[in-house]
Amino acid sequence: MESIKNLFINIGTINRRWIFLIVGLSVLLPLLFPINIPIQPTSHSQQVYNALNSLEPNSNILLSFEYGPSTKPEIHPMAISVLRLLFEKGHKVYAMALWPDGLFMSQDAFKQVAKEEYNKKYGVDYVNLGFKPGNEAVVKGVASDIRKLYTVDSQGILVKDIEMMEGIQNINDFDFVFSFSAGYPGSKEWLQFATDPNNIPLSTGCTSIQVTEILPYVENEQILGVLAGMPGAAEFENLIGKAGSATGLMAAQSFAHIIIILFIILGNLTYYFTRKKGRKY
Amino acid sequence: MNNIEIIGAWISVLFTLSILSYLYKDNPFYKSAEHIFVGVSAGYWASTFFWTQVYPNLFGRLWPASQMNSNDSFLLTIWYFPYHVIRNLSTLFGLVKNDIFPLTGIESGFEEISFSYLIPFFLGMFMLMRLIKKLSWLARWAIAYTVGMAAGLRFYGFLSSDIVEQIKGSTIDLSAGPIEIINSLILIFGTLTGLLYFFFSRKDTGLISKFSKIGIYFLMISFGASFGFAVMGRISLLIGRFNSLIEYNGKEYYYSSLWVLVFMIVTLAYWTFKNNDKQESVN
Repeated sequence: MESIKNLFINIGTINRRWIFLIVGLSVLLPLLFPINIPIQPTSHSQQVYNALNSLEPNSNILLSFEYGPSTKPEIHPMAISVLRLLFEKGHKVYAMALWPDGLFMSQDAFKQVAKEEYNKKYGVDYVNLGFKPGNEAVVKGVASDIRKLYTVDSQGILVKDIEMMEGIQNINDFDFVFSFSAGYPGSKEWLQFATDPNNIPLSTGCTSIQVTEILPYVENEQILGVLAGMPGAAEFENLIGKAGSATGLMAAQSFAHIIIILFIILGNLTYYFTRKKGRKY
Repeated sequence: MNNIEIIGAWISVLFTLSILSYLYKDNPFYKSAEHIFVGVSAGYWASTFFWTQVYPNLFGRLWPASQMNSNDSFLLTIWYFPYHVIRNLSTLFGLVKNDIFPLTGIESGFEEISFSYLIPFFLGMFMLMRLIKKLSWLARWAIAYTVGMAAGLRFYGFLSSDIVEQIKGSTIDLSAGPIEIINSLILIFGTLTGLLYFFFSRKDTGLISKFSKIGIYFLMISFGASFGFAVMGRISLLIGRFNSLIEYNGKEYYYSSLWVLVFMIVTLAYWTFKNNDKQESVN
């Protein structure tokens, strides 16, 4: 028993770089040697799917891109899947960004899905209004008068000359809002300043870190479901029946989680035995 | 695959590995990547802000092209005089060809001159006065406006969505099933005991102390959930970077990840060796 205790105490003194290396390998190896793991959609992802799937054809959907390259692995697969579902159902997609990098993320997603996969026409099937600085003031602007805020789109085309912008004046002209959010400003601002006051349905796909902040609104049905990080993206890919990048990366995520859980248990045992030994002497 | 994409991949690999090299220890690769990132972000932000907001929404409303060309009235000539000054400064009085401020005014979809936009224009100028010591007090006006406006805006949002709606949501629906009712009771009990923990107006003794201790457990569960999600998020980002490194290690990118990694290991080994030498000579 004493030798086991000493082993745990010794584990506590190992160089932290070994821990970094093991976590790194737990991520790298499943990426180099991919394996498929089963994915079961959670109720929150299912709620997002149901909300989007039940929209009337030809609905006006506003997508807001609030993420950048740093959070791309988590949120970009969601954007791709959501766009696939929306174009599949024949909805009109209006995009904008509250983050400057969000514009490039949206352009990347439209290039892949709208142009290459569905051959959709810009200005008729989708429009990208681009980025506006101002955080919640921009959201408030969209809620009251989008035309005052956006006079040109992301390509420099006058908004009044864009066919699908006809009749779009403010948030009430959209049937659904979806926010791809990696922080502030993001889903919370859309909820507080646009969708809640105007009673417009909102769903979100956000980073894992944000999930606990968003869940109270989901439970209260102020937000219709949440795609939670990379697992949320993989679940949504599963729901629409089109496997994407998130599904392929879930093995690495799961292995890394197992390793971290083991380290947490080991760390606690080490702490317990070290403290006990300290008391003894 | 064009050359620009290949160069981009090599730069991406270099910066990714430079940032990850901090796990070994603080080193010149990490420091350089960190400083370049901060500089590029600031420059990018300033440029984006100017082209997406200041230029079309402020200058475009103050000096629209439509009004400049509409007639030649004396008042309009005076109004557009500052615009011509800005234009001349941007072109170095005609020495440089520059179409940022065209001779015809700014075309961003506005028909009328919005005189009210002089207020944000001057507030913006006041903000820049911080650079001049004698006039730096003017910046306080702009800051006061921004703080006041943001506080007012956020107050409204929080009051409606976070307080009123959340209180409404926590009411117990007695017509629901027994599981839902128990769930709601736990939610209310957890919220009240959690709030009690932050109630500092009374001495923490007796019944209040017991309930606030229960509140700590609810808070710990909440922090645990946040920590779990935070770990999940960080691992996702690591997966994203590793995935890129694997992609850029392909033949079409000339095995960039491998070459950069070897270069960094050799350089860091040399740097550590030299630093140890220096340390010994100091001792």
